[in-house]
Amino acid sequence: MAYDDLRSFLTALDEQGQLLHVAEQVMPEPDLGAAANAASRLGSGAPALYFDDIAGFTSARVALNVHGSWANHAVAMGMPATTSTREQVEEFVRRWEDFPVPPERRADPPFAENALEGDEVDLFSVLPLFRLNDGDGGFYVDKAAVVSRDPQAPDDFGKQNVGVYRMQVKGRDRLGLQPVPMHDIALHLDEAERAGEDLPVAIALGNDPMISIVAGTPLAYDQSEYEMAGALRGAPAPIATAPLTGFDVPWGCEVLLEGVVEGREREIEGPFGEFTGHYSGGRSMPVVRVDRISYRTDPVFESLYLGMPWTEVDHLIGPATCVPLYQQLKEAFPEVRAVNAMYTHGLLAIVSTAKRYGGFAKAVGLRTMTTPHGLGYCKLVIVVDEDVDPFDLPQVMWALSTKVNPAGDLVNLPGMSVLELDPGSQPPGISNKLVIDATTPVAPDARGHYSQPVADLPEAAAWVGKLQELMSRK
Amino acid sequence: MTAPRKEEVAMMCPRCAWQEVRRLAVSPVAGVWEVLQCARCLYAWRTTEPDRRTRRESYPQAFRMTRADIDAARELPAVPPLREGA
Repeated sequence: MAYDDLRSFLTALDEQGQLLHVAEQVMPEPDLGAAANAASRLGSGAPALYFDDIAGFTSARVALNVHGSWANHAVAMGMPATTSTREQVEEFVRRWEDFPVPPERRADPPFAENALEGDEVDLFSVLPLFRLNDGDGGFYVDKAAVVSRDPQAPDDFGKQNVGVYRMQVKGRDRLGLQPVPMHDIALHLDEAERAGEDLPVAIALGNDPMISIVAGTPLAYDQSEYEMAGALRGAPAPIATAPLTGFDVPWGCEVLLEGVVEGREREIEGPFGEFTGHYSGGRSMPVVRVDRISYRTDPVFESLYLGMPWTEVDHLIGPATCVPLYQQLKEAFPEVRAVNAMYTHGLLAIVSTAKRYGGFAKAVGLRTMTTPHGLGYCKLVIVVDEDVDPFDLPQVMWALSTKVNPAGDLVNLPGMSVLELDPGSQPPGISNKLVIDATTPVAPDARGHYSQPVADLPEAAAWVGKLQELMSRK
Repeated sequence: MTAPRKEEVAMMCPRCAWQEVRRLAVSPVAGVWEVLQCARCLYAWRTTEPDRRTRRESYPQAFRMTRADIDAARELPAVPPLREGA
């Protein structure tokens, strides 16, 4: 099931009982943020939230927590809402193999229905903006797909980037933008600023669910998010040509902002309650000038709550983060079985692998840290045996508690790169990184006493089926 | 850079105590709320938000900001050097 826009996905969520329409009038603050905060505490089946009666607004429509549970993530993937986490990641891996699927360019996008340009531009007149957390510096646009091109290769479709970056609303036509240095838009901005130029951007809000997922996926620099969206959707991603920048943008988006990141400008931004569960602090960051707003009539403003994990952003980015790390590790080490990097964008990753010889698991852990995503994340890597499921945390804790001898199983690396938002980094952006080898030593590593593991009884598998059948009859 | 279309209103920034405050927006339903912004630290708030976000005396110490904080804020990312000839 491929959704072409946010509205069709909301309809599907509604049909599956995963959309909660809050009909009562609410205040923009603190109600919207608090409701989304609460939804993220409802567990693996939490619904998306839809508000259309917000005090002071006349036609505001706000969707929150759209990807905010495993059930919703499964529906976004076109799978049954009850699909297990591991099955969702495995299906993600399978579809990833279909990359690239060329997009389908369509005319007459819905966002062409209305437009504001020049002095008419007023973000507040189109978007029902609101604050999430108490200490946020203002209202944020935090779930948009930001499109930019490599200034040195403007016609290279693969190097066109689609990414999610937080943006503080600073004026009727101004946004503060956070381009983390490890992310592709930072490379584009760096090129533009070295040339003394602005960086044009198109910002698509309210997208089909797979665009949001691929925009949060750490793809390689020259891999197209649209071609990956096609693979993951199982159908070409519909794109349209943006009227001002000429960029390729999601056809079905609710609102499209176009303008430039002003070259060589920095301005105070933040703090913002981040995915790390900590505020980011106030920093001097780039600014976007919005020159045109295109929008569907009565657009749905999609936003997400983030703060102390787990929240919607963890469901949105968690599964997607596991897959490129898995794929890149497999290229070097076919022994790798699975990667669970869904904790805090992969600041902690758990890798399951077979071993060739003693010390091999530590090499797998080190490689995890030197993948493109690992350079900014993967501060802690736990490596477990091939028969440990990295998605089953009790199994991982068993491996940690029985396979690890700190005398030889910790590799502590000083002065490594990490994203500045890691509150433990000192100075910001620099951290030690740690590999924890929780695998069973193999020759020539002869440490420990692991020759007598307790295995499941040969008859146990049949009993699992028998017991499940008995329970289903109850 | 576009000059901010500011309309100053008499009020103090809850976060940095600066007294130059501008109006960013008013509610589409007249008279329900306004969105205000400090001209110095750029903090923005809606007038109907709780006191802990809108009133200086109730604003949490942990989130207050000073001129020194703004001046010392780290650049992210740092502005790179201009390429020769640019």
